[in-house]
Amino acid sequence: MGRLIPHRIAWRVATVREVVVESPRARTLVLEVPDWPGHRAGQHVDVRLTAEDGYQAQRSYSIASAPELDTLELTVELVDDGEVSPYLVQELRAGDVFEVRGPVGGHFSWAVADGGPLLLVGGGSGLVPLMSMLRHRGARASAVEAHVLASARSEQDALYRDELQGLEPRAGLSVAWTFTRTPPPGWSGYARRVDAAMLADVAPGPGERPLIFVCGPTPFVEAVADLLVDAGHDPRSIHAERFGPTGG
Amino acid sequence: MTDVHTDGNGVAGLLGELLAMEVTALQRRCHSCGAENPLAAHRAYHGAGVVLRCPACADVALRIGVRDDALVVEWRGTFTGQRPR
Repeated sequence: MGRLIPHRIAWRVATVREVVVESPRARTLVLEVPDWPGHRAGQHVDVRLTAEDGYQAQRSYSIASAPELDTLELTVELVDDGEVSPYLVQELRAGDVFEVRGPVGGHFSWAVADGGPLLLVGGGSGLVPLMSMLRHRGARASAVEAHVLASARSEQDALYRDELQGLEPRAGLSVAWTFTRTPPPGWSGYARRVDAAMLADVAPGPGERPLIFVCGPTPFVEAVADLLVDAGHDPRSIHAERFGPTGG
Repeated sequence: MTDVHTDGNGVAGLLGELLAMEVTALQRRCHSCGAENPLAAHRAYHGAGVVLRCPACADVALRIGVRDDALVVEWRGTFTGQRPR
């Protein structure tokens, strides 16, 4: 049953401290938000931009940073013809400000105390909230078993690849990539869309009762969730977060 | 028309601000088919407002819209949450 969590959220002004290039199409915005109440790994924020004429545009972005960090980090991927992401990815500079509301979303969240094993499946920038969970696991030096399956179109589009390779604690952690469009030269790993055989390789069996988090574009999430249910996983153990097609 | 939707996570900010609580983990029992799902698992359709639909039967679960300059939220089904006493 849903936990009732009193939760006062309001729009707050975020100041950009740094913009980090994650891929040709993605940036991490390192933000300072006065009176930020803290978050749980996996949660997101709403971002609101206001034009000089008062026009406002609003989108949701997942938090990438661990709750243990002092700054709030969002990783934003460019959506072609989007209304908000082109500004966040291409225009924003250190010192710029915009509004954030949050953190929001308690269903799609995890803390070390919730235990595991974890199965984290991310498509494209769906990896962002999962990265917050893994960074939280690292910050707590938790050995909770975590199995990660990340899907990207190409090596160039892959987020956090180096960090995932060096993530601690190594014990209990497995990270698998699949490149669905252009695998790197000489790549011997997965080079196809997530399918039943891939999940069987990577995921703990239903008997181990993993906590499952799947995030990505809607078609990706629905395909993966269906495969997991078909493989015998309890639908209630599958936490999903879908994004698109609302215009980025 | 293709089935374009996201999910209930996307309305968490708006509802969270209105109700001063976290809503995505609220369990909803569908008045139409009886299925029980967290608000987060409902399908979200964005138009002039937002409509959440039951992931099992697609009946309307929640409607958020603007009427005469007022924000209107209409709930359908039984929403349950709990907290330690």
